[in-house]
Amino acid sequence: MTPSEGVQLKNRIRKLRFEHGEMTQQELADHVGAARQTIIALEAGKYAPSLLLAFRLAKAFGVKTEDVFQWDGD
Amino acid sequence: MKDSIPLAPLEKMARFNLIVFAAVTVLYFIAVPSLAWCFHRTLLQASVPALGLFGFCGFWGFGSYFLYDRKRRAKVKLDEREELINLQATTTGFAAAWGVFVALCMGVWVVRSYVVHRPTLPIVFLPFLVFTCMIVQTVFQSLGILAGYKRSCGDDTL
Repeated sequence: MTPSEGVQLKNRIRKLRFEHGEMTQQELADHVGAARQTIIALEAGKYAPSLLLAFRLAKAFGVKTEDVFQWDGD
Repeated sequence: MKDSIPLAPLEKMARFNLIVFAAVTVLYFIAVPSLAWCFHRTLLQASVPALGLFGFCGFWGFGSYFLYDRKRRAKVKLDEREELINLQATTTGFAAAWGVFVALCMGVWVVRSYVVHRPTLPIVFLPFLVFTCMIVQTVFQSLGILAGYKRSCGDDTL
Protein backbone atom coordinates (compact mmCIF):
# COMPACT_ATOMS: atom_id res chain seq x y z
CA MET A 1 0.00 0.00 0.00
CA THR A 2 1.31 3.44 -0.89
CA PRO A 3 1.56 6.08 1.82
CA SER A 4 -2.12 6.92 1.35
CA GLU A 5 -3.73 4.53 -1.04
CA GLY A 6 -7.50 4.60 -0.82
CA VAL A 7 -7.44 8.10 0.57
CA GLN A 8 -10.82 9.74 1.08
CA LEU A 9 -9.40 13.21 1.36
CA LYS A 10 -10.35 15.62 -1.37
CA ASN A 11 -8.43 18.81 -1.90
CA ARG A 12 -8.53 22.02 -3.86
CA ILE A 13 -4.80 22.46 -4.27
CA ARG A 14 -4.87 22.67 -8.04
CA LYS A 15 -7.68 25.22 -8.00
CA LEU A 16 -5.99 27.25 -5.29
CA ARG A 17 -2.73 27.26 -7.22
CA PHE A 18 -4.41 28.82 -10.19
CA GLU A 19 -6.23 31.30 -8.01
CA HIS A 20 -2.86 32.37 -6.67
CA GLY A 21 -1.33 33.66 -9.86
CA GLU A 22 -1.02 30.28 -11.53
CA MET A 23 1.52 29.14 -9.00
CA THR A 24 3.48 26.18 -10.34
CA GLN A 25 3.74 22.87 -8.54
CA GLN A 26 7.44 23.48 -8.02
CA GLU A 27 6.84 26.91 -6.49
CA LEU A 28 4.28 25.46 -4.11
CA ALA A 29 6.59 22.57 -3.28
CA ASP A 30 9.45 24.96 -2.49
CA HIS A 31 7.10 27.06 -0.39
CA VAL A 32 5.98 24.18 1.81
CA GLY A 33 9.27 22.29 1.85
CA ALA A 34 8.09 19.26 -0.08
CA ALA A 35 9.05 17.58 -3.34
CA ARG A 36 7.16 18.43 -6.51
CA GLN A 37 6.19 14.78 -6.81
CA THR A 38 4.43 15.07 -3.46
CA ILE A 39 2.34 17.99 -4.73
CA ILE A 40 1.46 15.95 -7.80
CA ALA A 41 0.48 12.98 -5.63
CA LEU A 42 -1.62 15.27 -3.43
CA GLU A 43 -3.44 16.82 -6.38
CA ALA A 44 -4.11 13.38 -7.81
CA GLY A 45 -5.58 12.31 -4.46
CA LYS A 46 -2.99 9.58 -4.10
CA TYR A 47 -1.48 10.84 -0.90
CA ALA A 48 -2.89 12.21 2.35
CA PRO A 49 -0.47 14.68 3.90
CA SER A 50 0.56 14.91 7.52
CA LEU A 51 -1.15 17.52 9.63
CA LEU A 52 1.97 19.64 9.47
CA LEU A 53 2.11 19.63 5.68
CA ALA A 54 -1.63 20.31 5.50
CA PHE A 55 -1.17 23.41 7.66
CA ARG A 56 1.79 24.52 5.58
CA LEU A 57 -0.22 24.17 2.39
CA ALA A 58 -3.10 26.15 3.87
CA LYS A 59 -0.70 28.83 5.02
CA ALA A 60 0.89 29.00 1.58
CA PHE A 61 -2.53 29.84 0.12
CA GLY A 62 -3.53 32.05 3.05
CA VAL A 63 -6.65 30.00 3.80
CA LYS A 64 -7.83 27.62 6.51
CA THR A 65 -6.90 23.94 6.34
CA GLU A 66 -10.54 22.96 5.77
CA ASP A 67 -10.62 25.23 2.74
CA VAL A 68 -7.89 23.09 1.20
CA PHE A 69 -8.86 19.62 2.35
CA GLN A 70 -12.24 17.99 2.70
CA TRP A 71 -12.70 14.58 4.25
CA ASP A 72 -14.99 12.39 2.19
CA GLY A 73 -15.36 9.56 4.70
CA ASP A 74 -18.10 8.48 7.11
CA MET B 1 0.74 21.78 -21.15
CA LYS B 2 2.61 18.85 -19.73
CA ASP B 3 6.22 19.07 -18.74
CA SER B 4 8.62 16.48 -17.46
CA ILE B 5 9.12 15.96 -13.76
CA PRO B 6 12.74 15.97 -12.65
CA LEU B 7 13.72 12.83 -10.83
CA ALA B 8 13.62 13.03 -7.05
CA PRO B 9 16.94 12.40 -5.26
CA LEU B 10 15.65 9.08 -3.90
CA GLU B 11 14.59 7.99 -7.38
CA LYS B 12 18.03 8.89 -8.71
CA MET B 13 19.66 6.81 -5.99
CA ALA B 14 17.38 3.83 -6.72
CA ARG B 15 18.06 4.03 -10.43
CA PHE B 16 21.79 4.34 -9.82
CA ASN B 17 21.70 1.22 -7.63
CA LEU B 18 19.79 -0.77 -10.25
CA ILE B 19 22.08 0.41 -13.06
CA VAL B 20 25.15 -0.68 -11.07
CA PHE B 21 23.53 -4.06 -10.37
CA ALA B 22 22.51 -4.54 -14.01
CA ALA B 23 25.99 -3.61 -15.24
CA VAL B 24 27.66 -5.99 -12.79
CA THR B 25 25.27 -8.81 -13.72
CA VAL B 26 25.96 -8.31 -17.43
CA LEU B 27 29.70 -8.25 -16.73
CA TYR B 28 29.36 -11.46 -14.74
CA PHE B 29 27.65 -13.30 -17.57
CA ILE B 30 30.33 -12.07 -19.96
CA ALA B 31 33.12 -13.01 -17.57
CA VAL B 32 32.01 -16.59 -16.92
CA PRO B 33 32.48 -17.90 -20.49
CA SER B 34 35.55 -15.69 -20.92
CA LEU B 35 37.24 -17.13 -17.82
CA ALA B 36 36.23 -20.64 -18.82
CA TRP B 37 37.75 -20.15 -22.25
CA CYS B 38 40.95 -18.45 -21.01
CA PHE B 39 41.73 -20.90 -18.23
CA HIS B 40 40.30 -24.03 -19.84
CA ARG B 41 37.70 -24.55 -17.12
CA THR B 42 34.07 -25.58 -17.24
CA LEU B 43 31.43 -22.86 -17.02
CA LEU B 44 30.53 -24.09 -13.53
CA GLN B 45 34.14 -23.83 -12.38
CA ALA B 46 34.52 -20.36 -13.89
CA SER B 47 31.28 -19.12 -12.37
CA VAL B 48 32.74 -19.03 -8.83
CA PRO B 49 35.77 -16.73 -9.32
CA ALA B 50 33.65 -14.51 -11.59
CA LEU B 51 31.48 -13.78 -8.56
CA GLY B 52 34.23 -11.39 -7.52
CA LEU B 53 32.82 -8.96 -10.07
CA PHE B 54 29.94 -8.36 -7.70
CA GLY B 55 32.48 -6.46 -5.65
CA PHE B 56 31.69 -3.58 -8.02
CA CYS B 57 28.38 -3.35 -6.17
CA GLY B 58 30.51 -1.38 -3.72
CA PHE B 59 29.76 1.58 -5.98
CA TRP B 60 26.36 1.61 -4.28
CA GLY B 61 28.11 3.51 -1.53
CA PHE B 62 28.14 6.52 -3.86
CA GLY B 63 24.34 6.32 -4.19
CA SER B 64 23.83 8.35 -1.04
CA TYR B 65 25.49 11.25 -2.85
CA PHE B 66 22.14 11.87 -4.52
CA LEU B 67 20.43 12.39 -1.17
CA TYR B 68 22.54 15.30 -0.03
CA ASP B 69 21.93 18.92 -0.77
CA ARG B 70 25.09 20.37 -2.26
CA LYS B 71 24.40 23.76 -0.76
CA ARG B 72 23.59 22.43 2.69
CA ARG B 73 25.68 19.31 2.98
CA ALA B 74 24.08 17.94 6.12
CA LYS B 75 20.52 18.20 4.87
CA VAL B 76 18.90 15.14 3.35
CA LYS B 77 16.41 16.09 0.66
CA LEU B 78 13.46 13.86 1.48
CA ASP B 79 10.00 15.02 2.39
CA GLU B 80 7.48 13.09 4.46
CA ARG B 81 6.01 11.13 1.55
CA GLU B 82 9.44 10.13 0.31
CA GLU B 83 10.42 9.01 3.79
CA LEU B 84 7.35 6.76 3.83
CA ILE B 85 8.20 5.38 0.40
CA ASN B 86 11.77 4.74 1.56
CA LEU B 87 10.54 3.06 4.73
CA GLN B 88 8.20 0.77 2.81
CA ALA B 89 10.92 -0.04 0.28
CA THR B 90 13.43 -0.76 3.05
CA THR B 91 10.93 -3.11 4.68
CA THR B 92 10.38 -4.87 1.36
CA GLY B 93 14.12 -5.18 0.85
CA PHE B 94 14.64 -6.53 4.34
CA ALA B 95 11.84 -9.07 3.91
CA ALA B 96 13.35 -10.27 0.63
CA ALA B 97 16.86 -10.44 2.11
CA TRP B 98 15.58 -12.35 5.13
CA GLY B 99 13.75 -14.81 2.88
CA VAL B 100 16.87 -15.40 0.82
CA PHE B 101 19.00 -15.73 3.98
CA VAL B 102 16.73 -18.38 5.47
CA ALA B 103 16.32 -20.21 2.16
CA LEU B 104 20.07 -20.30 1.52
CA CYS B 105 20.98 -21.31 5.08
CA MET B 106 18.35 -24.01 5.31
CA GLY B 107 18.86 -25.14 1.72
CA VAL B 108 22.59 -25.62 2.10
CA TRP B 109 22.15 -27.18 5.53
CA VAL B 110 19.53 -29.65 4.24
CA VAL B 111 21.66 -30.55 1.22
CA ARG B 112 24.72 -31.08 3.39
CA SER B 113 22.72 -33.09 5.92
CA TYR B 114 21.10 -35.47 3.49
CA VAL B 115 23.53 -35.57 0.58
CA VAL B 116 27.00 -35.03 2.04
CA HIS B 117 26.00 -36.18 5.56
CA ARG B 118 27.93 -33.30 7.11
CA PRO B 119 25.34 -30.92 8.54
CA THR B 120 27.55 -27.86 8.81
CA LEU B 121 27.76 -24.69 6.78
CA PRO B 122 31.20 -24.30 5.14
CA ILE B 123 33.03 -21.14 6.18
CA VAL B 124 33.50 -20.05 2.55
CA PHE B 125 29.73 -19.96 2.29
CA LEU B 126 29.41 -17.17 4.88
CA PRO B 127 30.75 -14.21 2.84
CA PHE B 128 28.68 -15.40 -0.11
CA LEU B 129 25.63 -15.50 2.13
CA VAL B 130 26.21 -12.01 3.55
CA PHE B 131 26.91 -10.41 0.17
CA THR B 132 23.96 -12.13 -1.47
CA CYS B 133 21.59 -10.91 1.24
CA MET B 134 22.93 -7.38 1.00
CA ILE B 135 22.59 -7.38 -2.77
CA VAL B 136 19.02 -8.70 -2.51
CA GLN B 137 18.22 -6.06 0.12
CA THR B 138 19.53 -3.19 -2.01
CA VAL B 139 18.00 -4.38 -5.26
CA PHE B 140 14.56 -4.94 -3.73
CA GLN B 141 14.73 -1.66 -1.85
CA SER B 142 15.57 0.18 -5.08
CA LEU B 143 12.74 -1.56 -6.92
CA GLY B 144 10.41 -0.70 -4.04
CA ILE B 145 11.40 2.95 -4.20
CA LEU B 146 10.73 3.16 -7.93
CA ALA B 147 7.43 1.31 -7.50
CA GLY B 148 6.44 3.68 -4.68
CA TYR B 149 7.06 6.73 -6.83
CA LYS B 150 5.30 5.18 -9.80
CA ARG B 151 2.25 4.28 -7.71
CA SER B 152 1.72 7.50 -5.84
CA CYS B 153 2.87 9.96 -8.48
CA GLY B 154 1.88 8.95 -11.98
CA ASP B 155 2.21 11.03 -15.11
CA ASP B 156 -0.13 13.72 -13.84
CA THR B 157 1.69 16.96 -14.34
CA LEU B 158 0.48 20.41 -15.16
